[in-house]
Amino acid sequence: MDNLFIAASPSSPEVDFRFDERRLSLKGESYPENAAQFWGDIIVALRRFLAEDGDTAPVAVNVALAYFNSSSTKMLFSLFGALNDKAKSGTEVVLNWYHDEDDDTIFEFGQELREDFPDLVFNDHAVKSL
Amino acid sequence: MNDIQRQWDDFHSYVERRDVIFYYVGYFSQTIIAAMADAVKLRVEHAGAVAQTRRKLFSSFIEMAQNIVHYSADSYEKEGNSEASMRHGAVFISLTDGRYYLHCANPVNADVAEKLREKLEHLRSLTIEEIKLEYKETLRAETPADSKGAGLGFLTMARDASAPLEFELSPATDNGMSMFYLRATI
Repeated sequence: MDNLFIAASPSSPEVDFRFDERRLSLKGESYPENAAQFWGDIIVALRRFLAEDGDTAPVAVNVALAYFNSSSTKMLFSLFGALNDKAKSGTEVVLNWYHDEDDDTIFEFGQELREDFPDLVFNDHAVKSL
Repeated sequence: MNDIQRQWDDFHSYVERRDVIFYYVGYFSQTIIAAMADAVKLRVEHAGAVAQTRRKLFSSFIEMAQNIVHYSADSYEKEGNSEASMRHGAVFISLTDGRYYLHCANPVNADVAEKLREKLEHLRSLTIEEIKLEYKETLRAETPADSKGAGLGFLTMARDASAPLEFELSPATDNGMSMFYLRATI
């Protein structure tokens, strides 16, 4: 299926899902007007890829979100849930979770994900602040 | 001193006396929020807030501003504009003795007023540990049908605040409207 690329806007992140390379990246800030719709469309595309995917090679997910609002938080939880289901069925899914080294909120959300989605290979990356 | 300058001086001295570092009143849309978000980031950085405080201020600011878009009863619809959700409200940030306060105000109808009162009175009765626990539970629960923010917005503000959220609702007018005032201490 086609890759999914959505350029960043002032209130939404860059979405770069290279399904052909099995490499999915999110980068930026997320507080779109309608988070359910913005993330809903992305999750639909992701679920389609995961369902149609016949390959068993690992999938790498790189997330470097500096901020997400409450409604995006909720949607991200379902997105990682879909990836966890894939991992449960036998495909290795690596989640690289990037956050500023002193950003407790994003670090802690990563820990929630690690707890709830134990089938993902979770790597926490604390990035030095500028 | 001429009149223009005097007007400015009066205004500025009032703003300073009230420790106001950012103020906006008018219509809120996603575009306006994104532009203000930029200004707020710069402003609190300039005011000298540490990174963690800046992030909490920014987060609560976005939640408040988006609440105004979602819940304010006073809407403005530009003719032929697809951006239907321009809603009226006000936000301000003050800095007193090293503490930041975020305030917002917007008109709400009776239904929304009642829900806000219930929600906020409940949150005010919780300890910070209970707030964190409820946040975790809400994150994993189904989204309530009447919520656009997945029910996490006020929990996020309560979690990031250093004191319980404070609110007031003015007595309803004849048409059932109240003003909703919210203050978060960061």
